[in-house]
Amino acid sequence: MNHLAYDPPADTPSPLRAHGLTLAHGRVPVIRDLDLALPRGRVTAIVGPNGCGKSTLLAGLARLHAPEAGRVTLDDRDIRDFGARELARALALLPQSVTAPEGLTAAELIRFGRQPHQGWLRQWSAEDARVVKAALAAADLEALSDRPLDAMSGGQRQRAWIAMAIAQQTSLLLLDEPTTALDLGHAIEVFELVRDLAAAGKTIVMVLHDLGNACRYADYLVAMRSGEIVAAGAPSEVVTRALVHELYGVDCTLLTDPGTGAPMLTNVRRARAPKSASADT
Amino acid sequence: MWRIAARGHDGRWSILVDKRATAANLLLTGLLLAASLASLCLGSASIGATAALRGLFGHGDAMTVFVIRELRLTRLAAGLLSGAAFALAGCLMQTLARNRLATPGIIGIDNGATAFAVASVVGTGFGLAPPAMALAGAATATAITFGLAGGVGTRGYRFIVAGIGVGAAFGAGTQLMLARAPIDNANTAYPWTVGSLNAADPLAVELLAVGLPAALVGAGLLARALAAVRFSDAVARGLGIRVGRCRLHALALAVLLSALAVAVAGPVGLIALMGPEIARHLSSRRGVPLFGAALAGALIMVVADLVGRRVLAPIEIPAGLITSVVGAPFLLWILLRPGHRIGA
Ligand SMILES: Nc1ncnc2c1ncn2[C@@H]1O[C@H](COP(=O)(O)OP(=O)(O)OP(=O)(O)O)[C@@H](O)[C@H]1O
Ligand SMILES: [Mg+2]
Repeated sequence: MNHLAYDPPADTPSPLRAHGLTLAHGRVPVIRDLDLALPRGRVTAIVGPNGCGKSTLLAGLARLHAPEAGRVTLDDRDIRDFGARELARALALLPQSVTAPEGLTAAELIRFGRQPHQGWLRQWSAEDARVVKAALAAADLEALSDRPLDAMSGGQRQRAWIAMAIAQQTSLLLLDEPTTALDLGHAIEVFELVRDLAAAGKTIVMVLHDLGNACRYADYLVAMRSGEIVAAGAPSEVVTRALVHELYGVDCTLLTDPGTGAPMLTNVRRARAPKSASADT
Repeated sequence: MWRIAARGHDGRWSILVDKRATAANLLLTGLLLAASLASLCLGSASIGATAALRGLFGHGDAMTVFVIRELRLTRLAAGLLSGAAFALAGCLMQTLARNRLATPGIIGIDNGATAFAVASVVGTGFGLAPPAMALAGAATATAITFGLAGGVGTRGYRFIVAGIGVGAAFGAGTQLMLARAPIDNANTAYPWTVGSLNAADPLAVELLAVGLPAALVGAGLLARALAAVRFSDAVARGLGIRVGRCRLHALALAVLLSALAVAVAGPVGLIALMGPEIARHLSSRRGVPLFGAALAGALIMVVADLVGRRVLAPIEIPAGLITSVVGAPFLLWILLRPGHRIGA
């Protein structure tokens, strides 16, 4: 499948939508009147400068942040109408910064991902064991499964958290900067894992800072600035020199990846003309 | 490390047992039984273990039966129950604040309970029984602390600082009431200020005998949610935990347990710091060692009371003084141990 040839989501109704969403921290609105529809079974990348509201948007989509106005729907139902566990079985979020209790091992962390599927009378099943094992394998952590997270490298720890989100077995996966601490090899592994999960029907959103990877691995790109979406669509259609300049205040040369047809940025340099406005909000 | 203890034949139900936590709890139970027996045997007149056990069940000479059942057993019960309650309250509070320093003693709840109880004992006009007063005081201190801090916060520091201030104010209030009270009343109130099992209020012990098992069941029902709350609100909610409700229930349990424990033994609050710490060391990291903390707290209280009774006999050192002597270095160790996170 050439995932870069992204079709508009006519045949694939969006499972998760934001309708006129406004999210604020205290009095300050961070996201203003935002509409978004995530394509089902595809990988969406959210890009934008620091502080533009990407993490806040993910928190709003995952019902961790109550909206000032507007709403979020999951399969056309307002997420506020979902039960706590019901939502946790439908949607998993990996926040940008997470800490675990001291001494917890990777395998123990990943087992927590099964919690929404468990209950008082069903504390552990063969299915749980299978899913945890698969998640450990997916994150390439089998050899480290019994190592405490505090005794792991940042990237290993991040992979354990990704594995926990995977073990939650949700059809929607929201990942906030999942590859920031990862080396090239493991970052590519995560991206390929994300592609596999999408191919298996999951809907995935990643916040990414690397525009190149966003173009390469996402079907749908959402570019944000100051709490608003400035462009959304297939990467090959929306990524332009003007957009890159608008987002990050840099000039670049855009090429087309001969292998995948995805846009590629080279020769990135500080814009000569002063930026119209600070990208940092 | 993990074992499925029981499973329905169709796999529809299964119960998971953590081997390490079970081993830890068995160890603590064994130590607790030994300490309890020692506590029954040792005293101004020492009684042999066999005679003590026989006396416990009403056999042997009348004097031994009286000493064991009427004197030492009531004191032992007061120690077991209050120690367990302090430590369980501490474990709940530390977990919901994600901070090892956030015990009811440190954040002023014990002092609030004590101040109100002392107010009723020295006759300031409040007519309620000490346990009820302790509960009112604990609730008041908690409300003020929460009001000042505006919630628990992410790492609980604001909450702790506010609580220390509230605790200091209530502590000063207690001192003031005692200084102005007639001396014989102040003597009655004295064990409340240091913490001792010497004058345990029978009504409070009975209330705790009912309240502690109920609280253990309640805490057990919260255990899975609390284990997830240790991460962060976002992670816990992402796992389908109703964090607000879990916090509220855990807080209510902690306040109730602290108040009843203070009503029995006075502010022996450092047990709330030590009990959970010992349990966490022995248990696995996957869960919150609520039961282990209760066992460890009971053990510390019984041993502290025993040591206090025996070390300078016939002079009795209050158990609260013993736990302070041990607990103060322990607190420093928690704060200063290298490579050790204070966040629970
Ligand atoms: N807890 C908070 N309280 C107040 N303001 C906040 C809080 N969290 C974030 N903000 C503000 O909201 C805005 C958006 O923050 P957000 O974390 O969503 O940005 P982001 O796009 O994820 O940035 P980054 O790329 O740095 O992760 C920023 O201006 C930030 O200062
Ligand atoms: Mg962010």
